[in-house]
Amino acid sequence: TRYRIIHDYDLHTGDPKADLAYERQYEHQQTYHVIPEVIKNFLQYFHKTISDLIDQKVYELQANRVSSESIEQKIYEIQDVYENSWNKLTDRFFKTSPWPEAEAIATLVGNDAVFLILYKELYYRHIYAKVSFQSFSQYRCKTAKKSEEEIEFLRSNPKIWNVHSVLNVLHSLVDKSNINRQLEVYTSGGDPESVAGEYGRHSLYKMLGYFSLVGLLRLHSLLGDYYQAIKVLENIELNKKSMYSRVPECQISTYYYVGFAYLMMRRYQDAIRVFANILLYIQRTRNMFQRSTYKYEMINKQNEQMHGLLAIALTMYPMRIDESIHTQLREKYGDKMLRMQKGDLQVFEELFSFACPKFLSPVVPNYDNVHPNYHKEPFQQQLKVFAEEVQQQAQLSTIRSFLKLYTTMPVAKLAGFLDMSEQEFRIQLLVFKHKMKNLVWTSGISALDGEFQSASEVDFYIDKDMIHIADTKVARRYGDFFIRQIHKFEEVKKIKLKW
Amino acid sequence: MTMTFEQMRANVGKLLRGIDRYQFNPAYFQTSVTSQILLKALTNLPHTDFTLCKCMIDQPHQEERPIRQILYLGNLLETCHFQSFWTTLEENREFIDGITGFEDSVRKFICHVVGITYQTIEHRLLAEMLGDPLDTQVKVWMNKYGWVENEEGQIFIYNQEESVKPKNIVEKIDFESVSSIMATSQ
Repeated sequence: TRYRIIHDYDLHTGDPKADLAYERQYEHQQTYHVIPEVIKNFLQYFHKTISDLIDQKVYELQANRVSSESIEQKIYEIQDVYENSWNKLTDRFFKTSPWPEAEAIATLVGNDAVFLILYKELYYRHIYAKVSFQSFSQYRCKTAKKSEEEIEFLRSNPKIWNVHSVLNVLHSLVDKSNINRQLEVYTSGGDPESVAGEYGRHSLYKMLGYFSLVGLLRLHSLLGDYYQAIKVLENIELNKKSMYSRVPECQISTYYYVGFAYLMMRRYQDAIRVFANILLYIQRTRNMFQRSTYKYEMINKQNEQMHGLLAIALTMYPMRIDESIHTQLREKYGDKMLRMQKGDLQVFEELFSFACPKFLSPVVPNYDNVHPNYHKEPFQQQLKVFAEEVQQQAQLSTIRSFLKLYTTMPVAKLAGFLDMSEQEFRIQLLVFKHKMKNLVWTSGISALDGEFQSASEVDFYIDKDMIHIADTKVARRYGDFFIRQIHKFEEVKKIKLKW
Repeated sequence: MTMTFEQMRANVGKLLRGIDRYQFNPAYFQTSVTSQILLKALTNLPHTDFTLCKCMIDQPHQEERPIRQILYLGNLLETCHFQSFWTTLEENREFIDGITGFEDSVRKFICHVVGITYQTIEHRLLAEMLGDPLDTQVKVWMNKYGWVENEEGQIFIYNQEESVKPKNIVEKIDFESVSSIMATSQ
């Protein structure tokens, strides 16, 4: 194979068949006379619709008129192009390759600079959806399948998508936009413009700064530095709606990583709170997303993953949550949760594998001496820490169920019921208290803040050689159920009357 | 290590893996730095710094001396096997050189766990947990926390009865939820 210049956004996936197909396609696309007729027509139509809209708007502004119906019509057409046609054509022609480069189609659209900016945006978004830094890192680690040339290229260019470079870029964007200062001022009720600086006052830089913070949250999580991950968000009040929290995919992604970090930090209550909140949010806003977009797929996946993580967290730390989420959870994971409560480590590990982020190694591998499964090591490392924690708490679930049965008893006797020596049982009771007392966020802006609290439904203390147990009983909410059903019937009545 | 604990915590990721934000450095690993960080993390129990450090030390390095031994000690503390901890520490005393007040920090953690679990505890049991075969430490810690011993060798820790009580959470229905229903019903 001929040696090729590889761009920063190379689309190799690590799968030899797909890569070969991609390479063939890519060579094709380099010469633009192979652009399908359908695509040419589409781009010309798209361009015309947008130019017409701009022209119409300019005309109306100059004539001091408000938006007319023709503008509404054009906006609708553009939306249709953007959400439907683009996706259909992508599926048909560009499933594993990029759209033609902007330079290749420029003449088709009269070299219209404004349109080309929009086109490039869509072009890169498509590429990003197919491949990203994560995939490249994993690609880099799957060295077994690579050719000599590729290995040589990677070895002599360690800067490609290197962790350090990505960190640098994200940190630069954060610094240049002064986003942290802006957020500080914003949350204390001031005007962020006053500290925005030359670049930060532009909404582009401000949002880039904000999204870079989320990017850092993500990157640190992928590297297993959960403390740092949450720390970068210390000026963002996660619970509050703000001008920054308007992009649903960003909100959902943020909550996913924060929740996961909390779980690894053994802040179970916080993890549960965060997951329950965002799952409710997704439930409410589901209908807003077009099913065909990659956005919808991504949100769907994270929805499933967060249910899994919530199932784990609730097993480690049983507590009450919103009824509708709890119902959903039992439908999806009721069986798995029962098995986890019984101490089935395999279920824990399977669920963790499914729901966890795709961890990365910060280190460039030594290409001369790397074994085939090198790319799995970051994941194995996190899994090991998680599994150890599960093992350390292995007895607690059983102890909890026994504690619920009694109010007072000699320690030795209860130890006998549990088939343990008194000494070992006393140790397990200490573990119970230790593991159930976690840092819980109560107030303050930073999600790292917290106080040690225990909201365990079952509590106890040891007095000399007796154990005294206190259970929390929650009455069933009959009233709430009836009220909701009555409201539902009222709705049905109204509809029936209309007909 | 001369930095404060907060400084260390903010930089743990970089320290453990030699990642420097401003320079392009290949990651490097220093056993001594890592050991110190792990021991310092143990002094901050019950915070989970120790667990979080494990997430950033890869498997081959976890098996090197003295990291493997320190990890073992840490796991003993996390699982409250305090007696085993002191026995193991005896065999590995050289590791904790350079961390001032290591043993005191550990005892502080042990007293914290005892404090949330026991109302009254036998003197002998507390001494075992504090790794105090010569019975010199117990009185020191009793004084620190104001724990008092009676004639039968029982030490009173805390009036747990007051806070550990059965709870009954009853459903509360507020007027607003039913007002609309009451309005439409005859």
